[in-house]
Amino acid sequence: MNFVRCVRLTCVAAAFCIPLANAGPMGFSGSTMSMGDFGPNWRELFANHALTSRDAVGAEVLFMRSDDGRREREMAGVTYTRLVSRWNAPDSQANVWFVGGVSAVRGNDFNGTRLMFTPGIQLDYETTRVYVSALGRLYRARGINHDYGSVRAGFSFWEAEYDEIQPWFVLEARRMRNLSDKPEITPMLRLISKNYFVELGVNTARQARFNFMYVF
Amino acid sequence: MNNLSIFRLGRIVAISLVLSTSAAQATTLVATVNGMVCALCAQGIEKKLRALNSTQDVYVNLGQKVVAAQIKDGQKMDETAFRALIKDAGYDVAALQSVEKTAAQIKTEMKTKK
Repeated sequence: MNFVRCVRLTCVAAAFCIPLANAGPMGFSGSTMSMGDFGPNWRELFANHALTSRDAVGAEVLFMRSDDGRREREMAGVTYTRLVSRWNAPDSQANVWFVGGVSAVRGNDFNGTRLMFTPGIQLDYETTRVYVSALGRLYRARGINHDYGSVRAGFSFWEAEYDEIQPWFVLEARRMRNLSDKPEITPMLRLISKNYFVELGVNTARQARFNFMYVF
Repeated sequence: MNNLSIFRLGRIVAISLVLSTSAAQATTLVATVNGMVCALCAQGIEKKLRALNSTQDVYVNLGQKVVAAQIKDGQKMDETAFRALIKDAGYDVAALQSVEKTAAQIKTEMKTKK
């Protein structure tokens, strides 16, 4: 079993073997959060544990494929997430997050496994009715540059009580260098509850996407 | 003791229980929380409050940015610790007051206002 497969299995186990017991990239202090993002060209599974209210460590596995389906990447590694700054207002919240990791990556157009570094910054602003975010993350290894950028904007259809499921419309545009020739744009329906959300959408290439987040 | 005496004794016990229950005032700490805009985020506050030994019940209202923690009879909840818990969860307490109501009563009042 090679290193990538070993880390991948560990990550999947961490995500699913925890007994079933936030929309930033980490949950509250002491919580474990799992996230998934699935489509034909991008499949990601990510779990982290919040050591403090500002720091989380975790693991992720990611499969990437070029738009033409010819080039593929598989990576698995560990991550660190840091809440750099937060602004709380009476009706809104804004955050700056650092998300970074070290991964092993392999591909179908080169031999062996390479070490990949993935530092990134996420900015978000949210009210009970509106959400916007932007993420920029480098995916760099020797001879590889798959820098990633995404922006998201959404609104909720109505205010919901704390114990109710709230439906949102979210529009996402994202692009990955040297894999996508054009931005992928996906309108999605998001259903958010107090310990999970799910998103379902179809992108402009008519590919289905499914995302989830669950906080234990 | 004849049947009549047993009946009277039972009635006295029942009345005493009713009176003692209504006399006991539930105390609830009610905070107005800045930044609490989604249920996923507020869940951390609720879980941490429920984990406290002194917590009887918790009510969260996202629309009015309210977190209410009802204190168990005979127990105390330090206001400074309550503020710190919310702060540690990543939010700011804009106002805090102690009221003589249950969390359920506060929930009913807020739903009525809405």
